[in-house]
Parts: sequence; structure tokens; C-alpha cells
Amino acid sequence: MKKKTVHCPDVLKHICEELDTKLTTAQCRELKRHLSKCPNCTAYLDSLKTTIKLYSSVPTEHPPQKLRKQLFATLKLKP
Amino acid sequence: MAVQLSENEIIRRAQKGDERAFTQLVKTYEDLVYSFAFKVCRDSDKASETWQDTFVNVYRKLHQFDGRSKFTTWLYSIVTNNCRMKRRQRKLDKASVSIDATTALSDHPVVDEEGHTIQTIPSWKETPLDTVMDKELQGVLDEAIQQLPFDYRVVFVLRDIEGLSAQEAGKVLKLSVPAVKSRLRRARVFLRERLNPYMTA
Repeated sequence: MKKKTVHCPDVLKHICEELDTKLTTAQCRELKRHLSKCPNCTAYLDSLKTTIKLYSSVPTEHPPQKLRKQLFATLKLKP
Repeated sequence: MAVQLSENEIIRRAQKGDERAFTQLVKTYEDLVYSFAFKVCRDSDKASETWQDTFVNVYRKLHQFDGRSKFTTWLYSIVTNNCRMKRRQRKLDKASVSIDATTALSDHPVVDEEGHTIQTIPSWKETPLDTVMDKELQGVLDEAIQQLPFDYRVVFVLRDIEGLSAQEAGKVLKLSVPAVKSRLRRARVFLRERLNPYMTA
């Protein structure tokens, strides 16, 4: 049986969709093999992961106190 | 001794008009709603209005919540709809650019004499994530996500920042799981491309 050649764009499509899952299924073996020897796909995958980490590390915002008071007053709730 | 009520019980009581139960719901979710509104709206004025409108909507429509989805899923939907309406009303968003503008990984990479692929995509510089983010990087991140079309931005925030599953994000946006996956993939690639010049400079 002819082995299917994996190209970088295929890898890109897959790693972009399944970034958060482990590449452990049977059909992922070729992708893993490709990743292990392709510095471009590895660099790309690392940069995607960094992108997500950067956005996740942005500090969480809290509602301003003035706004809270306004809402509680509008809904006639006790703060 | 005060009895710890389950969330379902708090919601049930609030639906029957119990003010203390409703106040409890607001206090439990005020930070989550504001934080999500800010990430999606990318503007503190719009986030504040969205936050307020969301809880007013919850107050008026809580009886419509039937418990078939998670309460947070229902909240995320209301925030998203409010933020989308604000965007239409004020048209404050910067013009969103094409989502498909990406650096293609080539079918035919450059190889050396032994057939090994030569790295042509530069690695990103190390960015310490445990320290306070510098203003320049913060500005780059803000500008990139503001350029991301609204519907893609919501998918990215729900999946990659809020940590929802594809199924949950699909419920919030009334999209199929494949549609969520496709949007997420394109959003990730879009943001990566926007950050690339800064991260390889």
C-alpha cells in the first residue's frame, strides 16, 4: 500500500484544529513523524501555542465600583 | 448554620422572584461577565454597557432559562448578543481585514543536500509570561484581536481563553461543532500572523 505523503499545509490544518488534543490517534502518526523532522511545522506549532498563551495571560478586568452601584440601584438590589 | 444552596436551587429561587437569590447570582457571575465582555468588545465603555445590559436581561428573562444548557452558556450568549448589538449601533470596530491572509506553509519546503527540511519559518523570541506584560506587547495583542472579525473573536475567546469545549461554544453561538473548529483554526492563524512580525523582530 502506498504511504500517503504528508505536506506542511496538511499539518498546519490539523495542528490548528487539534492544538489542544494530544496527537495520539492512529491517523496522527504520520503527522507526528512529519513534525519530528520538520522545523518549519514545529516553529509554526510553537508560535500558535505562544499566541494562545499570550492572550490567556492578559489580566482579567473587573467591573468598576461605580458601575456596580448603578446596576444594584437599577435592579433595586442590596449590594 | 447557613445552608449552602446549589446553583440550581439559587436559580430556581431567583426565577420565583427571590431578590437575595438573584443578588447571589449577580455576585457569582459579575466578574466572569465583565471579563468576557471586555475580551469580546475590546473597549471599556462597551464592556461596561454590555455588563449592565446583560444583568438587566438576566433579570427580565431568567424565567426563560430552562436549565437544559449550563447557566454560564446562557450568560455567554447574552453577552455576545449585547456586544454584537453595540458594535452595530456604534460601528466602533476597526475595519476587519481578510481572515485568510496567512503565511502559507509550502508544499515544497527548502531542503539541504541530505533531504532535510531547512527552517525558513523563524522561531519566536522567548517571552516571559510570568512577568507583567510590557505595554508594547499589550498594544500588539490588542490591535491584532481588534482586527479579527467579531464572530471569530468570540470563538477564539470562548475556546482558547475561557476554556469552553467546541460543543459549548457551539451552543453559545448556535454553530455546529465543525463550524466552531473551522473558525477557531482561522482565528488562531490570523492572530499568529499578526503577532509574527513583532515576535520575530
